[in-house]
Amino acid sequence: MKGRIALGMLIVAAALLPLLLDPRGYWIRVLAITLLFAAMAQAWNIVGGLANQISLGHAAFFGIGAYTSTVLLLKFGISPWLGMLAGGALGGLAAFIVAIPTMRLQGHYFALATLAFGEVMRVIANVWTSLTGGPGGLSVPFTAPDFLAYSFKLLRPHAYIALSALVIVTAIFEGIRRSAMGYRLRAIRQNPAAAEVIGVDTTRIKLQAAVISGALTAMLGTLYAQLAVFFDPDTVFGIAGISIRIALIAILGGVGTAAGPILGAFFIIPLEEIMNDLLSSRAAGLSQLVFGIILIAVILWRPRGFITVFDALLARWSRGKSP
Amino acid sequence: MTVLDVRALSRRFGGLQALSDVTFSVARGEIVGVIGPNGAGKTTLFSTLVGLIRPDSGSVTLDGNGLAGLKPHRVAALGMTKTFQNVALFAESTVLDNVLTAGLLHHGVEAARGEALQCLDRVGLKEVAGKRAGDLSFPERARVELARALCTAPKVLLLDEVMAALNPAEMSEIMRLIRILRDDGVTLLVVEHHMRAIMNICDRILVLNFGRLLASGTPAEVASNPRVIEAYLGHPKDAVHR
Repeated sequence: MKGRIALGMLIVAAALLPLLLDPRGYWIRVLAITLLFAAMAQAWNIVGGLANQISLGHAAFFGIGAYTSTVLLLKFGISPWLGMLAGGALGGLAAFIVAIPTMRLQGHYFALATLAFGEVMRVIANVWTSLTGGPGGLSVPFTAPDFLAYSFKLLRPHAYIALSALVIVTAIFEGIRRSAMGYRLRAIRQNPAAAEVIGVDTTRIKLQAAVISGALTAMLGTLYAQLAVFFDPDTVFGIAGISIRIALIAILGGVGTAAGPILGAFFIIPLEEIMNDLLSSRAAGLSQLVFGIILIAVILWRPRGFITVFDALLARWSRGKSP
Repeated sequence: MTVLDVRALSRRFGGLQALSDVTFSVARGEIVGVIGPNGAGKTTLFSTLVGLIRPDSGSVTLDGNGLAGLKPHRVAALGMTKTFQNVALFAESTVLDNVLTAGLLHHGVEAARGEALQCLDRVGLKEVAGKRAGDLSFPERARVELARALCTAPKVLLLDEVMAALNPAEMSEIMRLIRILRDDGVTLLVVEHHMRAIMNICDRILVLNFGRLLASGTPAEVASNPRVIEAYLGHPKDAVHR
């Protein structure tokens, strides 16, 4: 209940924010990117949070989505909305294929295997020039503003689309968390053998979670492509820029909770931007250094994520109210 | 009427023959004890029956269904599950969620919650349903695990030392519960080290030694069987006289 109120307040605040920001400005872009990363971290949270399988390869699905819709648009003039569905299907298929050999792995081994898969996809995208344009990247062609063609003059619609995506992915995460699948994933996370013995098909449940997470992440790749207008393999398949950032957002915010990825994204992405803004002219790498120090401090302060700060505040608040 | 039929079950771990040609069958509604010295293969036998361990050879038939190659969740769906020797709860989840997850085998979430509360009531733990499972005492956790196994609605239930670390009062409570379960039509196989408990509740006892079935019979027959006495206490000739 407390979580639901906090979540509702966040969504309302996010819905009002685009109206307050300059529609051509820099900060509305930061907002759209923040919402998009929150949604990606939430999609990651289905596998990373509920099953506790820390994937460091989600850029693979993200890049598949970005490339699928953009290539379909460039080569066949297909609307990115439809391209997004195709990308989601391919992303889900890719997640299924990766999950078969990796799902028995745990902890670091799973993280490393998924990391390697993301890298393989980055290399393929760099080499398969005829399809992806290679290291030169792809530009999304500008067409007349039209919702059905996913083309807008201003950034405000992008912010609202990202917000809608965040709401939808969060609803899916929360739906899974409360459903039979959520109970089963939590059981698998804590003791796979005991889960099997009481009737949980651990293989099938893990596959389902991986496919849902991968498909959603790929669909968000299309949102990024349409927002960024230009991208290359090293961006959308990036380890630090996408894979690790997604995991970091969810972990910093609070893994396995619906509010965690949202809190994490609204902390990390703007902080990164502010650090760049303030410090990048002072000395090379200084902004990254300060950013890194802040992240380490936060993790040491709240190892289970920002969500615990809010839990503590809410607990104090409700204690204060009732004698 | 036979509910569980085990034929020539064998399993080797490297140089250790953990199970060797084990054959027995269990009638519906029986309470069968499985005893033997440490390392005799009791836990391996249970793990093999539910599909956690693949046998090298032999067959297991549950209520007419062959279990060869089936994963544990399929065996559970067919009606056989087990508890774990050292208690394997989902420690971070609540007691209720632990049991509820088992109820999902046959029910949706809401119905499973109702079933879970009933199972917790049966083991006398309804009042701690909202507690984190890892925060309970060991005897309580053992009962949660029993409730969780019950919530899969098993035909055959394998209990691996559920009475370890219980005081006499708790032990007789569990024994009472085992009899009630039997009266409800559940067939039970029980691994236990407390000889008095085993002799008290079991209709029949299987004795394992070095992975082989050494003896089988009523508690009285087994207790007076010279081979069983030898397995537990050693051969008289080996005794050191001073």
